[in-house]
Order: sequence, then C-alpha cells, then structure tokens
Amino acid sequence: MTPTLIKINHLSVRYDGQVVLKDLNLEIQKGEIIAVVGPNGSGKTTFIRALLGLVPYEGTIQIDGQPIRASLSKIGYVPQRFSFDRSIPMTVGEFLALSFNKVPVKKLKHALMEVDMTQYEHYQIGSLSGGQFQRILIARSILNDPLILVLDEATSGIDTAGAKSFYEIVSHLNKVHGSTVILVSHEINMVYKFVDHIICLNRELICYGKPKEAITKEVLEKLYGQDIRFQEHRH
Amino acid sequence: MFYYPFMQRALIAGILLAGLFAYLGVFVVMRRMAFFSDGIAHASLAGVAAGVLLSLNPLATALVASVFFALMMFWLEKKTNISSDAVVGLIFTFGMALGVLLISLKRGYQPELIGFLFGNILMIKSLDLWLIGIASVLISSLLFLFRREITLMSLDREMAYLSGVRTNLLQLAMYIVLAISVVLGIKILGIVLVSALLIIPVSISKLISRSFRKLVIRSVLCAEAIMITGIFLSYLFDLPTGAAIVLTGAVLFFAVFLLRKS
Repeated sequence: MTPTLIKINHLSVRYDGQVVLKDLNLEIQKGEIIAVVGPNGSGKTTFIRALLGLVPYEGTIQIDGQPIRASLSKIGYVPQRFSFDRSIPMTVGEFLALSFNKVPVKKLKHALMEVDMTQYEHYQIGSLSGGQFQRILIARSILNDPLILVLDEATSGIDTAGAKSFYEIVSHLNKVHGSTVILVSHEINMVYKFVDHIICLNRELICYGKPKEAITKEVLEKLYGQDIRFQEHRH
Repeated sequence: MFYYPFMQRALIAGILLAGLFAYLGVFVVMRRMAFFSDGIAHASLAGVAAGVLLSLNPLATALVASVFFALMMFWLEKKTNISSDAVVGLIFTFGMALGVLLISLKRGYQPELIGFLFGNILMIKSLDLWLIGIASVLISSLLFLFRREITLMSLDREMAYLSGVRTNLLQLAMYIVLAISVVLGIKILGIVLVSALLIIPVSISKLISRSFRKLVIRSVLCAEAIMITGIFLSYLFDLPTGAAIVLTGAVLFFAVFLLRKS
C-alpha cells in the first residue's frame, strides 16, 4: 500500500467569521497526481493556501508526519499569479538562483531542460509570455526536488494548447521525480485524464476518489448546478 | 579643494553613502518603497528639531526619531487595515508638524536647520563621518549577507515566505535599515532631497541593464559619479549641496534616456 504523505483532519477556514472551508478530512498518498476542482468561490485556493500555511485554519495538516512550517522546504509551489515588477531587469537564470542558497548551475540547467526552456536562461523574466513564465515557475519549484508540487490554477491565462503541454510537463515530472502533484483547476475536462484522484470542493468536500468513479451526475450538480454536462477532451 | 578637511569629510561620507543608497535603492524601487523613504526623511525633521532645541547632536536625535517612526509605520500596517501609503502619509505629516512646532520654540534664525533641510557639505563633522562610516559598512554588509532573501522578498513576499525567509522580521529590518540610511544622508542631501539618491541611480541603471547583477553594479557606479560630481559642482559654484547632487543625477538620467532612445 502506498504510504500517506498528507493527512488532513477537520480542516476549516474562516474569513471574517464566514466559513470558506468546512471540516475537510483527507489523506493523500505519495506519488499521486491530485486535482482540486470546484466552481469559483468554492474554496480551492483557500485549501491550497491552508496547505502551505498561508492562511490561519482550524484542524490539523501533517505533511510526511510533520507540521507545515517544518515541511515547507519539501513543497514546490507554482502560484496562480506572480505579481512582480516586470520592468526589473532579471534573467531567468538569476531568478532561479534565488530559490535557495547556492543553486548548482548544473541543477539549474537541468530544471530548465525539464520544462523545455533551456534556451531562455539569459532572457529577462519580464519579457516572457504567461505560459513561458509558468514553466519557469515549475522549473523553480522542482529545483529542490520537492516531495509535493502544488499548482494553483497555473494554466489560467494560457491557451488550450499551452495548458495541455503544461499538464504533460507536470505528468512527466510526477513520473520522473515521483513528486506528489496537487493542482487546482477549473478545467475539469482538461485535468480529467492527467490525474489519479480528484478532490471536489464546494466549501466542503463533495467528492474524493478516482475521476471516473468520483465525478458523477450528482456530484457535478452539487458543484456547478443542474445544467452542467461533462465532456472529456479527446485530442 | 581636497586640501580642506571639510571637503575630505564630505567626499568620504558622500562616497560611502552613494554606494549604500544605490544598493538599497534597488530594493526600494523593487518594493515600491520610494514614498516610505521620503516619508521617513521628512518625519525626521522632528528628531533634528529636538536635537537643536535640546542642544544634542541633531543627527543622533534624527536617527532615534526615524527608527521610532519606521517601527510605528510597521506596527500600524500590521495592526490596522489602513493602506501602506496612507500610513506613510500620516507619519510623514505628523513628524513634519512636530518638527515645525519644536523649531518654533527656539527663537532666532537657525542656520543649522536650513542645512538639514537642503544639505550642506560644511556640516559634516568628524563625529558625523564616523557615524556615517560605521553605519554604512554595517548596513552594506547586512544587505550583502541577506541579498538573496531581500531580493526574493522584494520580488514576491509570499514566494519568499515559502522559500523559508522570515518575511516579517526581514521587512522590519528593512524598514529600520532604510530609516537609518535616509537620516545618514540628510546632512549632505537634505531632508527634502535625500530620497532622490535612492531612486535616481537605479532608474538610470534600469534604462541600460539587462540583468540584475548589472543593475546593481551600474546603480552603484552611477550613484558614485552623481555624488562626486554634485559635491564638486556645489563647491565650485557655491551651490546648495543637495540640489547640486540631485540635479546632476536628473541631468544624467535624461541624458541616458535620450541617448538610449536615439
């Protein structure tokens, strides 16, 4: 049996007294790709932020048997938005070298190769497109060989082809590095075939399981209302 | 002109401060803290006025006041929902008003205060030079030692936190360091103009740099050139030092900008 990597007990998050997430109980196994799906305002990003210790929460979260703060170095994170000053002249190589003290050049080049961005090492980060920069963020997140890779709506603002290639890179990293991947997405059709398990949220846990078993008509109705239809991408 | 001890002191202080301001300025521009530094400089008038009134070293009392105001800004930002620029605006005007009030308690013309407002190379005494020298070396060493953490936090605070940086502590340290540095510069540049040296060199360097390393190096070089030329012009034409330095920087900025365009 695959060992448990993340153990979440009675997780609740409130903002200004309003419950945003209610009593989540989950166990995530090592080496899996997990998608967190749900409509806007369902608490997907809040769930990720709690997992990273960025918001106060009730309940417990343990990563590899340890509290979050002690486990941050084991997590690679690709945010939904990275709001930096694009006019600052900084090369991709310099940006990646900030990840931790003394990043070996060989490791930096390898990370760029993994996301197919080798030729961009000397480009300025401000000159990259959204899709290219997301790849650089993935390269950054894998530099310290993370146990967990967290991607928060990392394909928002990227076209369908770009998103598909993005998921292929993520899938490749999961296979090669064995990292557990948790990705938040509103593209339920797109993530369907890339993930091992799916977490459906709508302020509480609606479903958790293998996509084909977890996504039922009732679940979709609970998430998106009665008029929703699921269509798997075949290209 | 370098025969005169006051010029030697002004030049040494200027060279030390220019390097510090240029390096610090990179992070100030990245974190959009220009208004913070301007606010601290203006608020330090309260400290200068207290020093003059109590016959203490005004630079020392301004240092104490600026650190106090920096701590107050940090605390208010954390404990209230008031935006950062509003907090700076509040402290800026509070310090200035307090300074004006304290000045009014001292009768007669105060030439020293005018020097603090607009900068005066004649005002750098040996004790000031020691203070500037020690603080510049200490602060520059700290900035160099924690350059990765500061750069990361200046880019994105959340990313820095997730990379293990103690962001709250580092931000507080940056506020204090910036407050001290700004006050150290007011004898040469003046309260009104001191923050220009944090902004102008890095702005010139941004026009001509394509990597962060070059941005930092060129900012320092620009700041040194601006400072030395400004002090030289101030001496030669008997101009207010702060204005001469800032105008030299502004001319250099526009020259680089126009040359780059053409």
